[in-house]
Amino acid sequence: MVGLSEGEKQFLRGGIEQDLRSDGRTRHQFRSVYVETGVIPQANGSARVRLGATEVIASIKAELGKPSLLHPDKGKVSIFVDCSPTAAAIYGGKGGEELSMELSVALERCLLGGKSGAGAAIDLSSLVLVEGKVCWDLYIDALVVSSDGNLLDSLAAAIKAALSNTGLPKVNVVLGASPEEQPEVDVSDEEFLQFDTSTVPAIITLTKVGKHYIVDATSEEESQMNSAVSVSVNRNGQICGLTKRGGAGLDPSVILDMVSVAKHVSQQFTSDLDSEIAAAEASDE
Amino acid sequence: MRDLHLSLNQTQRVRLQAALDQLESYAASTAAAAASVTVADSIPVNHEDNILKGHGTSDLDGQVVATLCGVVERVNKLVYVRALRSRYKPEVGDIIVGRVIEIAPKRWRLEINFSQDAVLMLSSMNLPDGIQRRRTAVDELNMRSIFVENDVICAEVRGFQHDGSLQLQARSQKYGKLEKGQLLTVPPYLVKRRKQHFHHLDQYNVDLIVGCNGFVWVGEHVETSEKESTLLSDKPSGKQETDNSVPLETRRHICRIANAVRLLSVIGLTLTVESVTETVEASLRSNIEINEMLGSEFYVQTVEREAQRRASMVRKRS
Repeated sequence: MVGLSEGEKQFLRGGIEQDLRSDGRTRHQFRSVYVETGVIPQANGSARVRLGATEVIASIKAELGKPSLLHPDKGKVSIFVDCSPTAAAIYGGKGGEELSMELSVALERCLLGGKSGAGAAIDLSSLVLVEGKVCWDLYIDALVVSSDGNLLDSLAAAIKAALSNTGLPKVNVVLGASPEEQPEVDVSDEEFLQFDTSTVPAIITLTKVGKHYIVDATSEEESQMNSAVSVSVNRNGQICGLTKRGGAGLDPSVILDMVSVAKHVSQQFTSDLDSEIAAAEASDE
Repeated sequence: MRDLHLSLNQTQRVRLQAALDQLESYAASTAAAAASVTVADSIPVNHEDNILKGHGTSDLDGQVVATLCGVVERVNKLVYVRALRSRYKPEVGDIIVGRVIEIAPKRWRLEINFSQDAVLMLSSMNLPDGIQRRRTAVDELNMRSIFVENDVICAEVRGFQHDGSLQLQARSQKYGKLEKGQLLTVPPYLVKRRKQHFHHLDQYNVDLIVGCNGFVWVGEHVETSEKESTLLSDKPSGKQETDNSVPLETRRHICRIANAVRLLSVIGLTLTVESVTETVEASLRSNIEINEMLGSEFYVQTVEREAQRRASMVRKRS
């Protein structure tokens, strides 16, 4: 991360105060988003998302597995994030682990709901093929290729795009005679089931710089932040998750304000993202 | 500035392709195009005289082939490829913009996108009081009052040391710390060496400094004359005002010019003050919002305008 001189910092903060950021955006404006789907042929679904100079890749790999004993009616989803050393030299070696962990935990909180799987953005019960016997395990892997701020939002967008690109093969399950017997599965390689991503929320991170907060901060702006609140909002404008980063505390009324701004911004962002995903899918075929 | 990826619609794609084809046809006729190579292109050499293969070349089946994308340069017997995507190669007298990364005894170290850090000696810059004298130990201790780490400064390339390290100098009022603006980085090959690298865009009240190393400074205009000493009485009141922030109108211009620079570097057009102001004026003419300048429509428009400009240049010549 490149440091900023005192003069640049003042310029940046002044810009946010005057509602005109360094690249001409207002405080609540996103950079243009670019989506490409089907970038990894081996995966069940994959997408590359660029948000300005930030670039992330997400891939979805589905495997047949057994549901856990506690939740026999739910499939399993796990999210891993990796930061490539190409994004920044500090991510080389173990440098990126801390950030990777932080991002995966934040994504899990925003997308997977509680421990029991209740309230998850991805409908876990749709992953079950035979209750208690066979289910899909989804492995969501995301890679940060280049970083220019706002990683969490772009990762969530990439996961959403990858999920909408995902086709789960149709499975025929033949149950054995006795309940202990493992069922026979027949995975079709022609028929695929599309994934419903309408419930997957978008994450909007509001970064507080000075007195004001901004969406889609670049890394330069993030270096000046006091605290950041990530709100995940679904299509209906409901809040699915909330995380806060940064040391400085926030007044509760500010948080309420931020949430309503996030809800407002998310509508625009979601529709932009949806049209980009649709365009990417169209050019993919 | 890294690559910008845009989603173009069908008509925009067709227009962009047409404009790019046009540009390519003009570029193909120039001398530079004849010397430009991509990887694995063979470089024509007269085999009778033994040549020296330099950087970016390799021998393959008795032919000299390029191993880099760039322009073939020939110096006597030496043939080498000057890569386009490379770090900045300084020449004496270049005006550069850099960022201080370290303060060492009697010198500042600057990041200037060269293969090593540049050195600005305390003795090769004017002191703030403007008096010519030997630098004392006290001056050395007060170096942080001139530049601290992360400051953006502009300076001139003075020369190379015997060990290959680069020396800078800042012996004039126009050099020094840059404040109230933003620093952009573009590939150095987009900046050509010219007589003038400092530009005061009067109509916008903006300073544009196009460093030869590809660092471009866009900031609010500051007076760099000797008035500083004569206007000393006015200074305190003026300083307070400037400390606050940049006026909104000026900031709009700064952001617009900065986005013009970003756009030109993404397209890969040479950065000159003319091309930047031309882009800014075009965006104003067609009522493009500042942040929309990086969008696909203005991108296509800019490429088309460049194609037209070159077309008219060709027509004039013939």
